[in-house]
Amino acid sequence: MQDTVLIVGAGPAGLSAASTVTASGYKAVVVEKEEILGGAPIISGYAKLVPSGEWAKDAIGRMVSRVEEDSGVTIHKGAKVESLDGEVGSFTAKLSNGETVTAGAIVLATGFTHFDSINKPEWGFGTFEDVLTTTQMEQMVSTGKIACPSDGRVPERVAILLCVGSRDRQIGREWCSKICCTVSANLAMEIKEISPETDVFIYYMDIRTFGLYEDKFYWKSQEEFKTKFVKARIAEVTASPDGRLLVKGEDTLVKRPIIIPFDIVVHAIGMDPNEDNPEIAKVFGIGLEKHGFIERAEHYTNTCGTTRRGIYSCGAAYGPETIDDSISQGAAAASRAVADLNALVQKAS
Amino acid sequence: MATYAEMQQIYDDIRGDFRYDSELNGCLNCGICTATCPAAHFYDYSPREIVQLLWTENVEQIYDAMQEKIWACAQCMTCAARCPFKNSPGGLVAIMREVAIKHEMQSAKDVLRPFGRVMLKLITTGNQLSPDMIQPDHFPDWGPNIQKVEGDLSVLRKAIPVKTLQTVETAWEVSLKTSVEMYTIWEMTGVMKSLELMDENLFDVIEDFIDEKREEYEEWLEEQEDED
Ligand SMILES: Cc1cc2nc3c(=O)[nH]c(=O)nc-3n(C[C@H](O)[C@H](O)[C@H](O)COP(=O)(O)OP(=O)(O)OC[C@H]3O[C@@H](n4cnc5c(N)ncnc54)[C@H](O)[C@@H]3O)c2cc1C
Ligand code: SF4
Ligand code: SF4
Ligand code: SF4
Repeated sequence: MQDTVLIVGAGPAGLSAASTVTASGYKAVVVEKEEILGGAPIISGYAKLVPSGEWAKDAIGRMVSRVEEDSGVTIHKGAKVESLDGEVGSFTAKLSNGETVTAGAIVLATGFTHFDSINKPEWGFGTFEDVLTTTQMEQMVSTGKIACPSDGRVPERVAILLCVGSRDRQIGREWCSKICCTVSANLAMEIKEISPETDVFIYYMDIRTFGLYEDKFYWKSQEEFKTKFVKARIAEVTASPDGRLLVKGEDTLVKRPIIIPFDIVVHAIGMDPNEDNPEIAKVFGIGLEKHGFIERAEHYTNTCGTTRRGIYSCGAAYGPETIDDSISQGAAAASRAVADLNALVQKAS
Repeated sequence: MATYAEMQQIYDDIRGDFRYDSELNGCLNCGICTATCPAAHFYDYSPREIVQLLWTENVEQIYDAMQEKIWACAQCMTCAARCPFKNSPGGLVAIMREVAIKHEMQSAKDVLRPFGRVMLKLITTGNQLSPDMIQPDHFPDWGPNIQKVEGDLSVLRKAIPVKTLQTVETAWEVSLKTSVEMYTIWEMTGVMKSLELMDENLFDVIEDFIDEKREEYEEWLEEQEDED
């Protein structure tokens, strides 16, 4: 129908798109494959968000309820688009739940997939209980208690390893995941706040707390929370006979190999292309860029475009993105879609 | 001490090697290579430092590293298997060593001197290996865990439908024909030239040996023809 925008994915980007569409006087149909809305921050249970400091369940939760309470939005949970016909102005989508949706334009807000640390076995995830990912550590922070999963002791030393699953040609991931430096600096502060006797060390190649995140996260975590930043990428995580983790790397300033004991090691996991992207590309007839994210159209005059007319995208579907920017892009993609509907209305009258 | 122009020439020779661009893509300065490098654990040597010196074209420090540091590398290539940028620090060291030899650097001569007897043996008769020679008893430096691998190997060999033990008998014999072919390889790949630059005496001894073997081979060929 010419008054409807189909939105696929209900993370921060898709939720923002849906609200923008209805605020512009049109209808939105949201198709989300999970049984809950909210995307990665809700599904993976993030703690306090960067940069607002608000709990994810409150901040993103507000976006979810705004959409759920919106009479202009129809929501299909636990569903995917299985096939698509038509063109801009008259798309027809068949859903996996048997329903059919007609829409004038489409916004793909299908986001990303977390890097699976199992693909980097030398860093001990899956081998040692006390090696965790940032998402698991965020969940631990949400419980308000910091403890080693193996025996419940309070950790004296926690290491956060940056760029796990990012910036690594050995595993075919040549991108920077953009947010994990800041998220890790934030996580270090959260850990210290809950457990003052725990010292946090962050191992980095470069620190990318871009823009206003520099003093708010990188500087603050050092000045106020005594986080230690060590310039070294870790090569291996092993265990000593007493069960403590041993982290092996090079201290690049003194140029010597180092082996340091830790109680918990956290992988700052990166953002992979959505594992559904090959399927999405096929169903929607759009291109993917070389890393496997959705291919952006020429951005300057075709903002939020894909390689197919009438289909827009936003947020982490395009590549590693922050929540705030995903939300803005969701609104931008929605306004492009709405503009298509407007053009149809004008043509008809 | 070399002049700056000489050091620049040494760098240019390294840079000009046809392998250089595939061994060095840039560097993230992460230190993974050094952390996994066995040599770095025992010597004042860091593959990351070597990569950085080359990448930043620090010709003086490159020259300095070629005096001692680059000879600590064991050429195990763990660094190349791990580098997130897919550099090969070990491969770069190999190029630097070849250039050190080309420039007749004293450090190269000093490193090779104790290996005169090994080189004599290797260059004249080669280093034959068959799978059954590679036994943990002969290589205590492999450590105790290798036994586990060894246990699986005999099973794996059966599973692989490729002959792996057919050389067990022949590997112990030195074939005259193979030796002569090997000498041609040494010459054509520049090994003999390098040896001449490094140790003239050893070079002469080996040349004599090679000449003798070649004569022997010619005679043997003639004998074969006569028999026909
Ligand atoms: C550990 C970690 C912590 C982070 N913390 C922060 C932070 O504090 N601040 C910040 O700004 N950013 C943070 N980020 C980044 C943040 O997760 C992303 O910016 C954000 O989730 C992107 O939103 P999105 O809507 O584009 O994608 P997503 O959140 O991935 O949402 C995509 C949605 O689409 C659905 N979907 C996917 N495929 C399909 C399909 N085929 N059909 C139907 N539905 C589909 C998914 O189920 C999901 O609900 C963090 C990232 C990580 C890894
Ligand atoms: S944001 Fe930081 S931790 Fe994440 S991939 Fe980029 S440099 Fe690495
Ligand atoms: S090849 Fe040389 S530099 Fe590389 S890991 Fe082995 S010993 Fe170290
Ligand atoms: S591992 Fe590769 S990228 Fe990292 S310091 Fe060594 S050469 Fe540079």
